[in-house]
Amino acid sequence: MRTALLFVGRLLARWEVLLVIAIVGVGIWSATLSPFFFVRANLLDLLTPYAFIGLMAFGLAFVVIAGEIDISVASILAVSVVCFSQFYDAGLNVWLALVAGLAVATGLGCINGVLVGIFDLPSLAITLGTLAAYQGLAYVILPGEGVAAFPESVTKFGGGYVHIELPIALLVLISFAVVLGFVLHATRFGRYLYTIGSNREAARFAGIPVARVRVTVFALSGFMAGIAGVVYVGYFGSARADAGQGSLLDVVTAVVLGGVDIFGGSGSMLGVFLALVLVAELRNGMQLANIAGDTQNIVIGVLLLTAIVLGNLTRAIQARGLPSIPRRKGVIGNATASAGLAIEPETEVKGR
Amino acid sequence: MSTRTPPLVELRGLTKRYGGVQALVDVDLIIDAGTVHALVGENGAGKSTLVKILTGIVGADEGEIRVDGEPVQIGDPQTAHRLGIVAMYQEPTVFPDLTVAENVFAGRHLRTPWRGVDWRAIHRETEKILEEFEVDIGPSTPVRGLGVADRQLLEITKALSTSARLLIMDEPTAALSPHEVENLFATVRRLRERGVAIVFISHRLEEAEAIADVVTVLRDGRHVATRPTTELPQAEIVRLMVGRSLDALFPKEEAEIGDVVLDARGLGRRGVFSDVSFQLRRGEIVGLAGFVGAGRTEVARAIFGIDSLDQGELSVEGRPFKPRSPRAALKRGVAYLPEDRLQQGLVQTMPIVTNLSMAVLPELTPGGVLRPGRERSLARRFIDQLRIKATSAKQVVRSLSGGNQQKVVLGKWLAAEPRVLILDEPTHGVDVGTKADVHRTISQLAAGGLTILMISSELPEILGMSDRVLVMREGRLVGEFSRAEATQEGIIGAAAGVQAA
Amino acid sequence: MNGARRLNAESLAAAAFRLRELGVLVALGVAVLFFAIRATNFLTIDNWQDIAKDVAIVVVVGIGETMVILTRNIDLSVASIVGLSAFVTADTLAAHNDAPLVLVALLAMGVGTVLGLVNGLLVTVGRVPAIIATLATLAIYRGLAFQVTNGEAISAFRLPDNFLNIAASKPLGLPTLAWIALGVAFVGAAILRWAPWARDFFAIGSNPDAARVAGIHTGRRVVIAFVMCGALSGLGGFMWASRYPTVDAVSATDFELDVITAVVIGGVNVFGGSGSVLGVVLGAVLVATIQNGFTLLHLSEFWKLFFNGFAIVVAVAINALVTHRLQDALRRRRRAQVLATRHMEAEA
Repeated sequence: MRTALLFVGRLLARWEVLLVIAIVGVGIWSATLSPFFFVRANLLDLLTPYAFIGLMAFGLAFVVIAGEIDISVASILAVSVVCFSQFYDAGLNVWLALVAGLAVATGLGCINGVLVGIFDLPSLAITLGTLAAYQGLAYVILPGEGVAAFPESVTKFGGGYVHIELPIALLVLISFAVVLGFVLHATRFGRYLYTIGSNREAARFAGIPVARVRVTVFALSGFMAGIAGVVYVGYFGSARADAGQGSLLDVVTAVVLGGVDIFGGSGSMLGVFLALVLVAELRNGMQLANIAGDTQNIVIGVLLLTAIVLGNLTRAIQARGLPSIPRRKGVIGNATASAGLAIEPETEVKGR
Repeated sequence: MSTRTPPLVELRGLTKRYGGVQALVDVDLIIDAGTVHALVGENGAGKSTLVKILTGIVGADEGEIRVDGEPVQIGDPQTAHRLGIVAMYQEPTVFPDLTVAENVFAGRHLRTPWRGVDWRAIHRETEKILEEFEVDIGPSTPVRGLGVADRQLLEITKALSTSARLLIMDEPTAALSPHEVENLFATVRRLRERGVAIVFISHRLEEAEAIADVVTVLRDGRHVATRPTTELPQAEIVRLMVGRSLDALFPKEEAEIGDVVLDARGLGRRGVFSDVSFQLRRGEIVGLAGFVGAGRTEVARAIFGIDSLDQGELSVEGRPFKPRSPRAALKRGVAYLPEDRLQQGLVQTMPIVTNLSMAVLPELTPGGVLRPGRERSLARRFIDQLRIKATSAKQVVRSLSGGNQQKVVLGKWLAAEPRVLILDEPTHGVDVGTKADVHRTISQLAAGGLTILMISSELPEILGMSDRVLVMREGRLVGEFSRAEATQEGIIGAAAGVQAA
Repeated sequence: MNGARRLNAESLAAAAFRLRELGVLVALGVAVLFFAIRATNFLTIDNWQDIAKDVAIVVVVGIGETMVILTRNIDLSVASIVGLSAFVTADTLAAHNDAPLVLVALLAMGVGTVLGLVNGLLVTVGRVPAIIATLATLAIYRGLAFQVTNGEAISAFRLPDNFLNIAASKPLGLPTLAWIALGVAFVGAAILRWAPWARDFFAIGSNPDAARVAGIHTGRRVVIAFVMCGALSGLGGFMWASRYPTVDAVSATDFELDVITAVVIGGVNVFGGSGSVLGVVLGAVLVATIQNGFTLLHLSEFWKLFFNGFAIVVAVAINALVTHRLQDALRRRRRAQVLATRHMEAEA
């Protein structure tokens, strides 16, 4: 009996389980708002408007696990979208245009990667700059309206359905979640990410090609933003430079709420996926309750803050029982970027 | 009525243990005001532990501290500060973006009647102290531009303005030119005239002789002697520092010494070491001795590709080798077990199996895919071979004892099947039982054909394990001893630059 | 030898200190020259009065942002605070046309103070990294603005003339808004120079550990920095409502980038520990000048956003390279000299 209780206790303490409970809870709340909530077609379609956010979140999760941050993802999506539009508009075959857009997105991610991974600049400040620069670039490339009618072969990724009710966007999301989850948990590259995010110095000492991995992870983040752009265009049907505006909050929330430690070194694809479901469900429910979009943002913002504060609390409680480790310096402490915590209790004063 | 004033600081029976290691054992010490008190001893003799206890960074397990005759509890750095105990380390803690005067008065600005910062008063006060000690820096100088010597003077100024009574200087002269050392000594003498007590920790015995009134020697955590400098010539100090019977037996197996495996010629890194040349042969265990700061770790890091080499050539097994990165080094069969095993050697939050496979993942993951089975069997192999005590291979490294952690780090490198293994303080902070284990393993490895360069500050370890001993001092190789000719005095003498008595 | 040494070290270091502001000034001169030649109407009084009005708001908010950045933090929510307090200002004045302007300004600052306090507490007590905390509050405060406005805008004709006059009047040729900014700049500079708690910002950003050991209450100071930033953003909101009298929920969106660019270009170190009000003013003028020049040259206004981002990246890169790499190289060279003399003496 006691072991069963312990097992349940340990299970409940797992972040993913808490997320599932929250999802169920919000689901019940949504059902009270609308009898159509638990209809299969509706449930399946829940994630469709947020698929592009999820894809960006997957990419961002990789970066955060490696101990950095990338807040330029939404801007990369915008550039990718307008490039795609302009290339197609100029007569390029739609698939080539798509590939070109993805290439641009990956390239922009590479730039981030080189600045952070090779020149060792603080990822926070740098991606803050590229957030603006890339967004500006998007507007310059396409100041007005883009292509309004993309061929269905592409739009189906964002807005199409299989068997009437299964959204292709959901399939895309799940496919990437599975593939990326595999990369993260079952490949050498994924292991490198966790190692670098936990202790960059030890990783270097062990012969891990730290610089190369960091450049790659930012390129990956850019690539995912590009994929998100394709799905975005498919769902919203338009290609404009303001694509993805305001989505950064949801992307970061999905990552942090998904249990990815903002300081690096831990997190899972499953967690991010579940967090995305929760965010989507929450927004959906709020929509049913006639809460305006910008008010919804308040709720999401509070959710994000709560997730972090809770995470800090649990970490503090856990740390009580174990011998102290030097506080890991992640995004925040790396080269003490411009958003550091000036109040971190540091390790011993220097001396021998 | 007693005419004897109590000493400024008195330590009685101070004892401190770290895990299984005795850092300080029953140390008695008296520090009088207005004296310069040199504190000498090998690495690990207990000097820095003593300083940490005095400055409130750690607490003693047993013993008593008295200040002005009254027993005190120094529980944190703030208390030490209030008692007037200030420590100054090699790397002064400063605010690089502020001026000298502001550094001195940070957090305790002098105020005008209107409660604003009184810059004039701050500058005046700072100028006063600077002039009194003939320190050649202006109060408005931005600290960022100052070199180490000036930053040290800054720290001293700061200490003085807070009315420090005991100033502990930990290796203050390491980065100073002879001229700057003179300057510092002049300042120290003035401090002494003012009644400040100075504890001067240094490896450079000639300096201790020049500046100190009293010398205290620590050895293996114990107080060995305290005598006036005049009664203690350098050679005698060396004898006291090492005088111990070599009763610890090290199970050194005889190994067949083969061809040259690593050849280093004229290695240099600007500002750190220069002109380092040596050869390592198959099956050899070469000890690298010297005080902290002599450049041993730096040479190792350069060979391993962590820091860059400005000069010199390396070849491994006859072929030239450019250590561009740790990866490149590992590919050529050179591995380095870092001194700071917690920070640099292990990922604390990960399990044993993950740490063990860290350096050889490319080999264990064909096609880039992880093979948990292979990792597990690798882990099993080394847990057995090195006798790592853990509940399972999945146990998180953080919860292992120091000795076992060291074994995991060793296992990580052995898994990479290196030809040359550089060990940096392999038994530092490890308990006696595990120490013997580690030594046995090292010996077996050498017997098996591995080449080992062992950086160590424990003389018995060096003498017991090494076929040859190299000694470094101030960035240069200053001595080489064969197993037969090596003695503790000889090694320490070379490390300290003292003529053998 | 001694006297000469002092002169050398001090003057060199002091020069490096002033280098940043000098650099911005030079860049400003170059920009002015460039646009004066290439663009018509650049050097007109009207144009510069326009520039001054934009600069004014950026300066006021920028000084607040600077205080936060000095402590090694950042506040991304300033634009939302500006927007919210702009609306509160407009709303109050629309309902009470004869309210004394100073009181309304204080109200706006009060709103900003509360919002800044929340930021500060999240970062210190909640231990939420400043970037995440203010990213969240950016959204939360903007959402609050939507709640408060109910989707409506307040249009200029509902606002009292004396208020609208603030943006329109130009006593002595300088717009009132610029006078306000000047006043804030002087007060801000005075605070950063003479207020002990403000000096602590520099220490905290320069070396947080040393600051703690020195007995500085880092937590409390950081909260104050965020509060100041909020208050000044509130004032900025008051000024914003006067300049752009049609106030709605999206007022001042993306404004934070203008502010941060001005601050970063103005030489405030993103790692904390150094910066000046003069730098912020120069930075704001430089950024506004370049943007104004772009407009006059008929370049797409979206180049402005790109330029902002590019400037931030370049400023951070230069900062990192100069401060750290240079220092490292200098230190090693010195150490080499020391070791060399030592060995020479030993062999002598």
